Amino acid sequence: MQNTEQRQPHVPVVAGISDPILEGISNGWNVHESTDLADGTLLEADVIIIGTGAGGGTSAEILSKAGFRVLMLEEGPLKSTNDFRMDEREAYRDLYQESAGRMSKDGAMSILQGRCVGGTTVINWTSSFRTPEPTLNYWADEFKVAGFSKDDMAPWFERMEERLNVAPWQVQPNENNSVLARGATKLGIDWHQIPRNVAGCWNLGFCGTGCPTNAKQSMLVTTIPEALNNQSQLVYSARAERLIFEGSKVAGVEITALDKDYQPSGKMLLARAPHVVMACGAINGPALLLRSGAPDPQKRIGKRTFFHPTTFCFAEFDQLIDPYYGAPQSIYSDHFQWLEVSGKAGYKLEVPPLHPGLTSVLLMGHGHKNFADMEKLPNLHAMIALLRDGFHPQSEGGSIELAGDGTPIVDYEINDYLWDGVRRSWLTMAEIQFAAGAKAVRPSHVDAPWYHSWEEAQKGINALEFRSNAFTAGSAHCMGGLAMGEDKNKCMVDSDGKYHYLDNLYVFDGSAFPTSIGANPQLSIYGMACKQANALVEKLRSAQGKA
Amino acid sequence: MLKITTTRRGFMQLGTASAAALTVGGSLAALTGCSKAPAASGYKVLREGDVRFFRAIAPVVLDQSYPGTLGEQAPERLLHSLDRLIGTLQDYAQSQLLMLLDVMQVAPLRAAMGAPWADWEKVSHADIDAFMQDWKSSSIQLKRMGYGSLCKLLTMCWYSQPETFVTTGYPGPPKKIPA
Repeated sequence: MQNTEQRQPHVPVVAGISDPILEGISNGWNVHESTDLADGTLLEADVIIIGTGAGGGTSAEILSKAGFRVLMLEEGPLKSTNDFRMDEREAYRDLYQESAGRMSKDGAMSILQGRCVGGTTVINWTSSFRTPEPTLNYWADEFKVAGFSKDDMAPWFERMEERLNVAPWQVQPNENNSVLARGATKLGIDWHQIPRNVAGCWNLGFCGTGCPTNAKQSMLVTTIPEALNNQSQLVYSARAERLIFEGSKVAGVEITALDKDYQPSGKMLLARAPHVVMACGAINGPALLLRSGAPDPQKRIGKRTFFHPTTFCFAEFDQLIDPYYGAPQSIYSDHFQWLEVSGKAGYKLEVPPLHPGLTSVLLMGHGHKNFADMEKLPNLHAMIALLRDGFHPQSEGGSIELAGDGTPIVDYEINDYLWDGVRRSWLTMAEIQFAAGAKAVRPSHVDAPWYHSWEEAQKGINALEFRSNAFTAGSAHCMGGLAMGEDKNKCMVDSDGKYHYLDNLYVFDGSAFPTSIGANPQLSIYGMACKQANALVEKLRSAQGKA
Repeated sequence: MLKITTTRRGFMQLGTASAAALTVGGSLAALTGCSKAPAASGYKVLREGDVRFFRAIAPVVLDQSYPGTLGEQAPERLLHSLDRLIGTLQDYAQSQLLMLLDVMQVAPLRAAMGAPWADWEKVSHADIDAFMQDWKSSSIQLKRMGYGSLCKLLTMCWYSQPETFVTTGYPGPPKKIPA
């Protein structure tokens, strides 16, 4: 054991932080836990927004500011600053889908997705990139997405960047991120600082367990409070079970009230509004439409679901890395991202924070090997490559299916096309890690030993066998499933986010992306939702004018 | 999770013998009532047999980190954490996992899957390790999935316990004092 001496956290105490949600509630916000409402309660509003993540939060603020009565429905619980104790156990249980144990049907991909008021914005690592131009161009060319050119989108991104305080991280990156910068520089690979949505960040490293200092400008501390100040209503632990259709309209939303264990409580609620916005993510959104039997003549609901399948490569250093402390993501490289837009899979390089519970899963394996790897934790660095899926005929994405009880199943296969990207990404990461001074490197594949030189790693990685479930494919980015575009053969919603086959249903979130983004998607969702929610405001106002 | 009612894709990847064992396994386990067994006292999902199974494999999966400073409390703490996690898995993943656990309860079925025949309390660590190694590198996707799921569940639940931080060298999170 190399780490016997007891060390203290780099910041020993976090204190003196207020909880804006508790304060707002005590000041009279209209916020209810679903089970506090009587069975059969009817909730009414001008607009129902299902989901309170990046898309829902942004939309709620814009619509409520314009004077519309907004009802926000959230499947997850309401947790806020005082609950965020930087404890993996509590965070995964309370803030993540399936306690961070969500995975694809074949178990080969682990999916981290938020499930709480504020959605994934509460637990993401704050990286904020505009949608890359080649992605926007590809959407226009392949899916007839209109009004989404780089110039069209620039003002919307600017607005949201200002709203959420997005700026490149100016503080010294933590050692885990520095490895990427140092190794890349040695090899002549370009890298940049990551823009983050933080204000007064303490540089703690616990973005993934809910920001304990309110620094992260998640929906929980920005748009949702603003919407509640504007007379919106929030009902949480409330799962949208089914949309009720009347003709070409959504007439209402049937809601299952969930109990403290996140199981159906037996109570049902009903919500009605002239307009319904879905912002419940790329897994639960398509599942809701499938459960509801929504019109779908081309059978495209839940198709083209993308995840940025993410590969991991670990490195051991002589010096301390303390990969669990400090802003989790501050350096990235797009050097390998756009070599070809629609050829071999490109990838973005970043690093993940390594807290022990999650790290043990990412390392894979059992017994002495896993334990020996875990013992290296303070000296461990990891790099990730996010494969850009959805830009090639052999990357059509996965699909969402329903289990017997109507909950979603994610069918996504890591195929030969992606495996080629997996292998290339491991080679890239290993080379950068050795260039940065790593003494040993190990890609997250159960057969991979620790390699002690770049030459050894190159040989070893090229010989690794492609078996599903034998290597870590992670995802923290759920995208697609309700593709946006004017081409109805491929797309479910138009360029304004309106569902092609219904008059009053809108989808303002990442499920409308026709491909993956090629970057962490939160700012793409904010910008798109901002544009589309504002267009909806104009539409509703002109309809009111006519009436 | 382990898939019992095989889809075509899953089925094609299976050797016929294993496929038969699995399919029969699921239904036999159902017939013998495993699936319907009630949760063990104090648990929401895990049944007596599952508790015995996880108690047996935990020291092998977690190696020298287990039981660590938790000592005699380790199994309880780990199993309740597991129980809570499995309880929040959605229908598909949870039912697949419970079917895997069903198969682990019935000696001939688990033996057909390459797991030890003897009762879990009596199996040596070496035999458990051998079966896990076999599943890890198996050509059968369902075994690899089973291996991955068991390891992920156990290590995630274990290494997130603050008492294990001393074994990994993680100094732990800052102390949060609510205002």
